[in-house]
Amino acid sequence: MNTLRVAALYLKVGVLNELQYRVNFFLNVLQALIQVATGLIVISLVYSHTPRLNGWTEPELLSLLGVQILLGGVIHTFVQPNMERLMEDVQKGTLDYALTKPEDSQVLVSVRNVRIWQLVEVISGLTLLGVGISRLQTSVGVLDALAFLVAILLGAVMLYSFWLVVTTGAFWVVRMEHVLELFEGVYQTGRWPVGVYPGWMRYGVTFLVPVGFAVTVPAQAATSRLHGGTFALAAGFAVLLFAFTRWFWRFGLRRYSGASA
Amino acid sequence: MPDSSSAVRVAGLSKVFRVPEREAGLLAAAKSLVRRRTRDVCAVDAISFEIGAGEVVGFLGPNGAGKTTTLKMLSGLLYPSSGDATVLGHRPSQREREFLRQITLVMGNRNQLQWDLPALDSFELNRAIYRIPRNDFRPVRDELVELLDVGDLVRKPVRNLSLGERMKVEIVGALLHRPRVLFLDEPTIGLDVTMQRRIRTFLAEYNQRYGATVLLTSHYMADVEALCKRVIVIHHGRILFDGQLAALADRFAAYKTIEAVVGDGERISLRVPRNETSQATARLLADHEVHDLTVEDPPIEDVIELVFARESAE
Repeated sequence: MNTLRVAALYLKVGVLNELQYRVNFFLNVLQALIQVATGLIVISLVYSHTPRLNGWTEPELLSLLGVQILLGGVIHTFVQPNMERLMEDVQKGTLDYALTKPEDSQVLVSVRNVRIWQLVEVISGLTLLGVGISRLQTSVGVLDALAFLVAILLGAVMLYSFWLVVTTGAFWVVRMEHVLELFEGVYQTGRWPVGVYPGWMRYGVTFLVPVGFAVTVPAQAATSRLHGGTFALAAGFAVLLFAFTRWFWRFGLRRYSGASA
Repeated sequence: MPDSSSAVRVAGLSKVFRVPEREAGLLAAAKSLVRRRTRDVCAVDAISFEIGAGEVVGFLGPNGAGKTTTLKMLSGLLYPSSGDATVLGHRPSQREREFLRQITLVMGNRNQLQWDLPALDSFELNRAIYRIPRNDFRPVRDELVELLDVGDLVRKPVRNLSLGERMKVEIVGALLHRPRVLFLDEPTIGLDVTMQRRIRTFLAEYNQRYGATVLLTSHYMADVEALCKRVIVIHHGRILFDGQLAALADRFAAYKTIEAVVGDGERISLRVPRNETSQATARLLADHEVHDLTVEDPPIEDVIELVFARESAE
């Protein structure tokens, strides 16, 4: 329970920190507008040639894009700043202070930073999702909405786990700034349903970098296309990945030697 | 609270780092991509010592002697390669909460407070992390703020503080949970003399008041002389000396300095071998008219230098 309180307090402090940099808000709004606009243009281009893409109609794909931007926003707000800080700390050997605190070290390194202005992305994602759903032929039920919420949560857990596993790798290789760009690149694959990709790549973006799972499943839920089996698989995978992450983090900590200075 | 049993116990503690090694140049760099050559560096080599509860011990040694590595092993940041360390009955490397709650680590060259915010906000974070009840927290915080004469500095963003001010505020943050063992790694580095003295006085006072055990490293001998009765001298990962600061000179300084005012106020200074001090003094008194006479050990800096010089010569 105390761990939650610590996390909440860090969030508050992070917000206080961010409020000093208001220019970022406008930059993020601009960035979000560009992101949404390019997304919309590409989708309308695709659907000017075909009514369905791998079984997905235009409003459905719009919802998918909404989920992808929303989830990306969550990651950019809460996960990425912490992981960047962690990488930096490992490199400079400044992780020490986080490790001498009587609190779960994984929690501490995961809540120290927050970029609230990135929440603009969450809003634009939600807007797109709203527009997509409103254009659907079918109506979305309570059960779908519930499944959607859980699926988004699972997606966030998967992406967080993926990030932490990769970042923990810094304990071994120390320098890994390019991971960021790598992730951004792969994350863009989430704009399209997993099904459109050829077999090997589908597995890659599902299990290796769980972008496909994280984005497609919530979108399926929101558009009433989700199968129970897929849902269970996603849940199982998220739990498994999280457990592995926890183990791997502790394993990495044992490796940590800190830059002695 | 201070009991007679030892707060820190270290037996045969070692830390070996495996560091990559290669020649300079592009070719060597390419080769090392395929096959990394490594070399084992023994940063701490089977050291043993005990520190009693409430003791203040100075940990001396040149850069790279193994001081920081030892402190990091004692605070649970590094796993020892071999040997045993016990702090307050806990094994640091297991990083149990009960252990972490009772220690603190202050590194003079790093800061842990939120850079862009007033220190008060960081103090609140520590309050939550250490689960300090609000009613207990205030008096402790206010007392520390007063002892260190920090005043309103805690309300300014940390980035706007001077180095010395920041260090004082850092120390307040590090002691809010009333740790029983303090590991201080060069807490006065880079500070001006007044600020150093201020922090020194505070540490002595804190130790007196709460009987906290302090293990301190510093390159400033004034810190050590003011705070530590006992010193541990470490070099190349091995302990060269462990005992009273006063005994250090007896053991390592080969000479003493005799200062005298003779005849018509002429001041003379003689450096004589330690075992000939009494004869030299007697001769001086017999042969000259002496107004004033002092026999002194060389300054502690010189003694330490002698210790390391002797070690390198062997």
